[in-house]
Amino acid sequence: MTTTKNPSRPSLPIVENFTRRAAVKGAFATLGAGAFVAAISPLRQAAKNTTAAEFMQQHYTELSPEQKADVIARLEAETKEKYGADVTIADDRPIPGTKFVYAINLSVCNGNGKCVEACHKENNHDRDTNQSYIRVIEMPKGTMDMEKGSTTYTGTVPKDDKFYLPVQCQQCDEPPCVDVCPVKATWKEEDGIVVVDYNWCIGCRYCEAACPYHARRFNWKKPEVPAEEVNPDQSYLSNRIRPVGVVEKCTYCLHRTRRGKLPACLEACPTGARVFGNILDKDSNIRWILENKRVYILKEELGTKPAFFYYFD
Amino acid sequence: MSSITAPPDITEPGDNESHITSYPKFIGRSLWLATEGSLAFYAWMTMLTALFLVGANAWANQVAGGMVGTNMTDQVSWGLYIANFTFMVGLAAGGVMMVIPAYLYHDRKMHDVVIIGELLAIAAIVMCLMFVVADLGRPDRFWHMMPVIGKFNWPISMLTWDVIVLNGYLVLNLHICGYLLYMRFLGRKPNPTWYIPFVMLSIVWAISIHTVTAFLYCGLGGRPFWNTALLAPRFLASAFVSGPAFIIVSMVLIKRLTGVGGLDHPIATLTKIIRVTILINLLMVASELFTEFYTGGSHVSAAKYLFFGLHGKTALVPWTWTAIALNISAALLFLWPGLLGFRWRPLLVTACVMAFVGAWIEKGMGLIVPGFIPSTLHEIVEYVPSQLEWKVTVGIWAFGLMVFTIAIKTALPTLKHPAEH
Amino acid sequence: MPRIANLIFAGVVCLIASMLLVAVWQSGTRANTHAAPEETPQVAQLPSEATTTHPVIIRKPSGPPRIELAGMDPQGRTGSVACSTCHAVRKPNLENVSAATLDEFHQGMTFNHGKIACYACHNPDDSDALRLADGKSVAYENVMTLCSQCHSKQAESFAHGAHGGMNGHWDLSRGPQMKNNCIDCHDPHAPSYPKMVVGFKPKDRFNAPLDDHQDHEGAESHDDH
Repeated sequence: MTTTKNPSRPSLPIVENFTRRAAVKGAFATLGAGAFVAAISPLRQAAKNTTAAEFMQQHYTELSPEQKADVIARLEAETKEKYGADVTIADDRPIPGTKFVYAINLSVCNGNGKCVEACHKENNHDRDTNQSYIRVIEMPKGTMDMEKGSTTYTGTVPKDDKFYLPVQCQQCDEPPCVDVCPVKATWKEEDGIVVVDYNWCIGCRYCEAACPYHARRFNWKKPEVPAEEVNPDQSYLSNRIRPVGVVEKCTYCLHRTRRGKLPACLEACPTGARVFGNILDKDSNIRWILENKRVYILKEELGTKPAFFYYFD
Repeated sequence: MSSITAPPDITEPGDNESHITSYPKFIGRSLWLATEGSLAFYAWMTMLTALFLVGANAWANQVAGGMVGTNMTDQVSWGLYIANFTFMVGLAAGGVMMVIPAYLYHDRKMHDVVIIGELLAIAAIVMCLMFVVADLGRPDRFWHMMPVIGKFNWPISMLTWDVIVLNGYLVLNLHICGYLLYMRFLGRKPNPTWYIPFVMLSIVWAISIHTVTAFLYCGLGGRPFWNTALLAPRFLASAFVSGPAFIIVSMVLIKRLTGVGGLDHPIATLTKIIRVTILINLLMVASELFTEFYTGGSHVSAAKYLFFGLHGKTALVPWTWTAIALNISAALLFLWPGLLGFRWRPLLVTACVMAFVGAWIEKGMGLIVPGFIPSTLHEIVEYVPSQLEWKVTVGIWAFGLMVFTIAIKTALPTLKHPAEH
Repeated sequence: MPRIANLIFAGVVCLIASMLLVAVWQSGTRANTHAAPEETPQVAQLPSEATTTHPVIIRKPSGPPRIELAGMDPQGRTGSVACSTCHAVRKPNLENVSAATLDEFHQGMTFNHGKIACYACHNPDDSDALRLADGKSVAYENVMTLCSQCHSKQAESFAHGAHGGMNGHWDLSRGPQMKNNCIDCHDPHAPSYPKMVVGFKPKDRFNAPLDDHQDHEGAESHDDH
């Protein structure tokens, strides 16, 4: 502590009983500090779940190939430890000359929800919440106003007076979610897929507020997936099991599509409403649809330029 | 902080003590003074400490168990924390309503106590930062947001602008307050070149913090309720209600508890300011609502939900009508000229509290939350804060009030005996 | 004067020479681009001869349908017979358009495929094959040829992946693609796509049991239609 008696500074009051009061104050300060440490003790549990290596990990785009290999090995080991599952986490990069585009034929979609389920399983979503990147809206015929739709419909489909509008990440060319991220944890790759580095996201959820398509999900708790149900075929930027407290999203199943395969939701669709492909390939299915069907995009007025099209036959 | 507030090269002739030794003495002295007080003071601080500890514990549990403990959802992804954050930015900006009369209009009596507004700004910004951290899913990755060592998405992300302006405002006010108090400690006359430019900057900066905070929301095309150019002016207007209202109540309390004089004139000035700003705020709310409801269409869904409920969902209706009632009653009270009479002090305090609570609801449960309802897929998922969220919020408020109390205690000698500056 | 004329002449000669040079050079580069493949080079995958292309495999019926015998023979064996077992000895009724008007067999069959007659598709001359509109016989395996006669729009969409669904690879340079056949999804006798029951629903409000909440007025009809 400091001396208080200084005749040259008369404007400050002089305190008596300095030492006794100092001792009392010190005791109270110690008590307060101790109580504070006790109050935040649950943090120790959280600290146990975060290794130093994870804490120090650099942004995905700044990792050298060796660092990436280390990170992936660590993540595979963590999955084994925490989920009891042997998985392979690849680092699938965009195929040069590819730009992925999706289209859905709303005349055919009957709202059965198989795509929702396939997404849930493929992407190792939390089992308790039935999480999925896809929501299907049941819409009355004669309107395009989502206000009149419902995502919680059940029972036998299709209903005669309804049509069904599946919505997932539109992989916008002008993605508002990417713009708002304060830490560049999400970005658009060369093949058009908007990805998230789950090990860089700070969980501020600004992207969730910015997305006009409800495409993003936050891990409010640690995802639970039984070991036998874990999809072992994983990718760093895609369906590896996400940590708690970060945002995730549809990646057009890049762990499949960047290996030439079709997305899980498309394969699961029993009605064949879904079409996927490379728009830069002029012989592709998707190109034919854009050239020959009258397609439309969701919320066009927002200028997000989706890579996701809808059409009616 | 101390390195910022210690101006390095203004040693005057005849002073035989360097800042290296006198500054720590100043800090120690301030701390000592700040922890001196009556039994009531200790009781107040103990209560705040207890509440803060409850909040700290709740937050630690939230971090350990995931944000599942909150009632936020993927549909309503921001709740009580961001609502309070927004309000606190306003409170911090509101302090400038003392600075403007003091420094732009050379109001002598306001000048003597202007430090109250600046100290409030410091406490409010500290609370802002705490609310943001409380809202993060991964507070352990906070360093990702630091420029240079992290990845700072500036200038594209408005959140990075907010980080800059909020921390900048904190530093500015710490410097101004720290410098004035330090000079006081040294018994010297403050050198205007060391703080007047910063005061002028802080006026502009105060406007900027709330403008940028409004831009966080109003730039999102997918959220029609926020997507209005009026949002930033509205934020400022309500900030210039809540800030002065808080300061008036503080000054009434300071006068009663410590006997600091010369506060009646600043109270009158601030009351006159609120008289105008509360009406401007109401006018803006009214024109916003007119535009929404007269235009109609699906754009108006959120406003409909907020004021009348939508499809049987009415969780926010009581909140918003409470806010409207509080704001209008407060506005009427402020319009009454007699409110400035000494015998009506309790009524003035009541009006201030009403305006303050009204602004808090209007900005939080009345603005942040309905922005998410209906969701972008037009689902109506309601939100009511969980107990954990309330605990964390109360804890942060308690901490902010502790900071403010300690700051005011530190500044008391200055307030009691205003020096020439 | 002649000097000026000479200068102008020299200028004109130079201009023509340079134009010629440019023209020759340009045609040279154009010839080069002609030598390259027609497609823009950034397209990685093309079903051209240059890349190894995997096939698009369309599932096919295994052959003509077989009719399960109702009873067992004395040894307790079941068996099935070809259509022609019966139809070879029966005279085809070319007018028949409904199962209800049949007197002996196929009576319970649901038929809901427009107003066409049985023999619009089935072959009266060869019961183990189908018949196109022009009278040509077509094997059951190639039923899609038959369907496409009327449903050319769907056939066209199918050819471009916009109808019928698929599995496997979008990128044929990396793997094959499997596509459904018309009759995998559409019963030829009652082709409208069957109704389904929604089985899987996300539970968005994770921290509370999924209450019986309805988003909109429009959603109040939870019962089946």
